[in-house]
Amino acid sequence: MLQIRNLFAYYGQIAALSGVSCHVNQGEIVALIGANGAGKTTLLNAICGLVHARGKVTFQGENLLQVPPEGIVARGISQVPEGRQIFAPLTVADNLELGAYLRQGRRQRQEIAADLQWVYTLFPRLRERRQQTAGTLSGGEQQMLAIGRALMAKPRLLLLDEPSLGLAPVIVDTIMAAIVNLRQQGVTILMVEQNARTALSIADRGYVLETGRVLLSGPAAELLHDHQVTRAYLGKDYKEFTEGR
Amino acid sequence: MLDWRQEIPSREELELLQLERLQSTLNRAYRQVKFYRRLFDDHQIRPGDIQDLPQIARLPFTTRADLSHNYPYGLFAVPLREVVRIQSSPGTAANPVVVGYTAGDLRFWRELTARFFRSAGVGKDDIVQIILSAGLTNWARDLKDGAEHLGASVIPFSNLNFAKQLMVMRDYKTSVLVTTPSYARHLLEVMATMGLVAADFSLKQAVLVAEPLTPAVRQEIAAGWHITINTAYGITEVMGPGLAFSCPHNDGFHFSEDHFLPEIVVPETGAPASPGEVGELVITTLSTTAFPLVRFRTGDLTTLQPEACPCGCPLIRLGNIVGRCDRIFSVGGIKVHPDQIANAIREILAGHTPRHRLRLSRDAGLTYLDIEIQMDETLFADEVKCLEAISRRLRRHLRENLGIDSRVALVEKISPTP
Repeated sequence: MLQIRNLFAYYGQIAALSGVSCHVNQGEIVALIGANGAGKTTLLNAICGLVHARGKVTFQGENLLQVPPEGIVARGISQVPEGRQIFAPLTVADNLELGAYLRQGRRQRQEIAADLQWVYTLFPRLRERRQQTAGTLSGGEQQMLAIGRALMAKPRLLLLDEPSLGLAPVIVDTIMAAIVNLRQQGVTILMVEQNARTALSIADRGYVLETGRVLLSGPAAELLHDHQVTRAYLGKDYKEFTEGR
Repeated sequence: MLDWRQEIPSREELELLQLERLQSTLNRAYRQVKFYRRLFDDHQIRPGDIQDLPQIARLPFTTRADLSHNYPYGLFAVPLREVVRIQSSPGTAANPVVVGYTAGDLRFWRELTARFFRSAGVGKDDIVQIILSAGLTNWARDLKDGAEHLGASVIPFSNLNFAKQLMVMRDYKTSVLVTTPSYARHLLEVMATMGLVAADFSLKQAVLVAEPLTPAVRQEIAAGWHITINTAYGITEVMGPGLAFSCPHNDGFHFSEDHFLPEIVVPETGAPASPGEVGELVITTLSTTAFPLVRFRTGDLTTLQPEACPCGCPLIRLGNIVGRCDRIFSVGGIKVHPDQIANAIREILAGHTPRHRLRLSRDAGLTYLDIEIQMDETLFADEVKCLEAISRRLRRHLRENLGIDSRVALVEKISPTP
């Protein structure tokens, strides 16, 4: 579905990605793991066209690197950014409708209404709080809202940046369960996580990034099992990396 | 049987997978192994420079001498505490070959060896008997692990003599025999002397490993037991059996290119050989973590055949091994360098190395190394009794150190090469 070859990205003189190749198959949950500064978020932003990158990114056979960000959303890729970035003064319902800003036309209105109900079924908490302003939601609810908003664009591939960041363990479990549920409903997922254990426990495959390079890749169960090896590669960052925060 | 579409969806996806794995292997080798970092730096190349599979030709080679120089742990890419198996074999250079495996490497290797058995049609209901010489202990263990992983009932290798092995084969109703071509022929001879016939056994197939198999020998073994024959190619430095395995439709082997990248190069220049041309097989590991090898020169001469295979297996085909581009030769599946024999003679004779000649011979199916040592003045000084002791000690030395069977003759003048 998504194929990335030799992706390079720079912030000024500093290389954030130094030749990353990876892929996501239809229906998979793939986890990108690695410590701070490994290049995980840059990779997601490069896919979305938010960061200028060199290399090859193909989504369902089409090269994405020349496509502007809104064109990428229109092709079926939505990102849930790190730190949620919801519109705090707006209500939950307004936030969700904004997620569908690219979908216009009368017929689309009916579909959008149906999708709104789908998001509410996925996250009943959002239905309960649909008239509340987003800023008053708890961290977990805000994460649900951010995911819900991305889903309103009807993505085929959902990119999640640190969905467990700053959340209590019990809330993390809820979010992860929702991600597994989404996959069952046909959404393919590429997820960035520092919390490797959590991400690998629901993912099919994983890539371990370090300083903009892929050091290890393989079935998630294998990487989870081999966390000793992962530690060997990530050195002292390991604790921060797998044991959560 | 195996559904290859499950294993390898398409050529394009396989090549992306290979590239991903190659790049992460190079990143790890460069980051973790001093030898590779220096080698890459000397050639002014960084892992990020390799952006498609053919560009691998820009990387330097790794040789058996490099393995020997970095004895024992110099090429390991993980700390020893992550290594769960340290496997040695005599090798063909000064030092033994040491290969490390993490727990993950072993799991993946077992799966790959099981895949090779599955592709040969071996399943849970089979009784697999492994008969290999002590010199092939590593192969015997890997094949046992793979067959057990598959769920077959395995009779591991043991030190029973050939007659007892045949008794076990008959009484335990062995359906798959794993052995070398030499041993298979020898078993047939022993069988005849015991008055046993093919109908006494439940054997369905033989998996013949470690030695090249000529069509005549294949025919002889297949007819002797009324069985099908499968073969495998592997080398100890790159894990072992399961690297490449025979296909029912063709000579040669399917190469496990999802985990190992094969290349054929011109031995003299190291340049890529043209498609279909015979050259030296060079292997890069893609999935191993403890002992990554970058462009390892195997010394085996063969071809790569990219055309699709009627068996449906999408893995590229390796032709038969037609020879070697170095002086290494195989005695019953064990690789030996002539220098190792010369060193052994020097050790036995306390520093003296008389002229000698090596020749392979067969007796009742088994392969022996015949060593003729030419008598000279230093040797003449000894009494006949001592001369006998020399040949006895040399035989024992080679058996203990290399695991090969030899016959030593002290001759007045070495017979001219036929």
